[in-house]
Amino acid sequence: MNKPGSLIYLAYFDFAVQYRKTMIGPVWVLMGPTLFIVTLGLLFGEVSNVSSEVFIPHLTIGLITWTLISGFVTDSTTVFQRNRAQIMQGGMTLPDIVAVDVIRTTLHFLHQIIIVIAVFVIYDLELELYSLLSIAGLFVLVINGVWLTLFFGIIGARYRDLTEVVSAIMRIAFLATPIIWLPAERGAGGIMGAFLTFNPFYHFLDAVRAPLLGHEITMMTVAVIGGITVSGILITVIFYRRLYFRVPLWI
Amino acid sequence: MSRRCLIKVDKCSLSVPVFQPEDQQLMTNPLRFISDLYLSRTRRGIVNLLEDISLELHPGERLGVIGPNGAGKSTLLRLLAGIYVPTTGRVGIQGSVKGLFDISLGMNPEATGLENIYIRGLQMGYTLKKIQKMIPEILEFSELEDAIERPLNTFSTGMHLRLAVAVSTITAPDVLLLDEWIGTGDSGFRDKLQERMHKFVDESGGLVIASHNTSLMRSLCTHGVVLASGRIVFQGSLEEALDYYQQEAVVPG
Repeated sequence: MNKPGSLIYLAYFDFAVQYRKTMIGPVWVLMGPTLFIVTLGLLFGEVSNVSSEVFIPHLTIGLITWTLISGFVTDSTTVFQRNRAQIMQGGMTLPDIVAVDVIRTTLHFLHQIIIVIAVFVIYDLELELYSLLSIAGLFVLVINGVWLTLFFGIIGARYRDLTEVVSAIMRIAFLATPIIWLPAERGAGGIMGAFLTFNPFYHFLDAVRAPLLGHEITMMTVAVIGGITVSGILITVIFYRRLYFRVPLWI
Repeated sequence: MSRRCLIKVDKCSLSVPVFQPEDQQLMTNPLRFISDLYLSRTRRGIVNLLEDISLELHPGERLGVIGPNGAGKSTLLRLLAGIYVPTTGRVGIQGSVKGLFDISLGMNPEATGLENIYIRGLQMGYTLKKIQKMIPEILEFSELEDAIERPLNTFSTGMHLRLAVAVSTITAPDVLLLDEWIGTGDSGFRDKLQERMHKFVDESGGLVIASHNTSLMRSLCTHGVVLASGRIVFQGSLEEALDYYQQEAVVPG
């Protein structure tokens, strides 16, 4: 097991080198989401009666946080294949490799927070002390990224088509989660209630977004997140102990 | 008191299930995941990569692993490196172990040579301070001072290898594992590389090397094992092992 500091540096190198190829470099990471938000904001401004002051911050935080969640999920299935050389040389354990991948995806997210800050400045939104709860939500989300990457990384090493299955699910989940649409007035009790109640992605997303927008986090969200975090970690530990030694043979 | 062992392998076997391509597809049969998890041991064919391996390595000993292609030499080295975990038996290693397998792989082609020194150093568990101290020595040995700020994908194969060797051979481990001797490259650099590798082997506490090069083994190794189909068929001094291998190799099968 390497030191945590080393893993962060390794993730940083991965992150920094990734964008050097392009001419405008790191700005490119901000361009995509910004274009998406502006286009969708204009479109929805025309077709719905929700004011852009409500919709744009909702969309921005939702989209950026979704990029983090879906980054964890879709990268997880190939994490060990991508790092085959590191595994076969020894020196790095499977949890080390998972940690580097999770930190790199998180750095990507932290970079994109610039867009959220810009939106808060443009619409002159205020933050309260309560908004700090969002950091806790983010922390729990990253913790879940760790077990998830390890869990799906092991399954993905064995079943190569898991990547396609997962990305198909994530495309549907993007539409089923309130990112480009707003949940109805009454939240989980409203017309789209089922898409909120039974959608774990919604609960994780809301734990980051709701505090920033001054909304309340429901007890159900806390319960779902807590349940998934604890059971996810437990299942992954059992799974890892049972199968970790197979991974070098599979990749 | 028995002598201290660097490596003690006790009756190790490594067996793996064989996969057909369709076994690796979840969508051909989604229930396969469940059945694999609970029935894997009974249903699939099993191949024994290594069987009943026992060996010891004491400080100062250098073990040559001899055998035809597919005998399990690389697998044995990976078992000793801790990458593969034995299905049965135990592998005990005293001290640090380092394997140099495919050292040119796993570097980041988009990153510069200098960044790759950091990346590889961090992967090997060094601190940033230690890596910073290593850099002058790496540059001096690899003669890459002018190129080190360029991305790795602009390096020639020879430069790539020089950098990889320079970084990988900074600190000698207690047990060094080599899958084939590293010593190719441009002729001007070959002597320097040979010198470096020999010095590295000398500094290491013990060596296990798999190679087809018998003259190299003679100059390097003290002991030998002969592997055939994943089993140790002979164990002794290097000369005896080479003699045994040459006699047996004449007989087909």
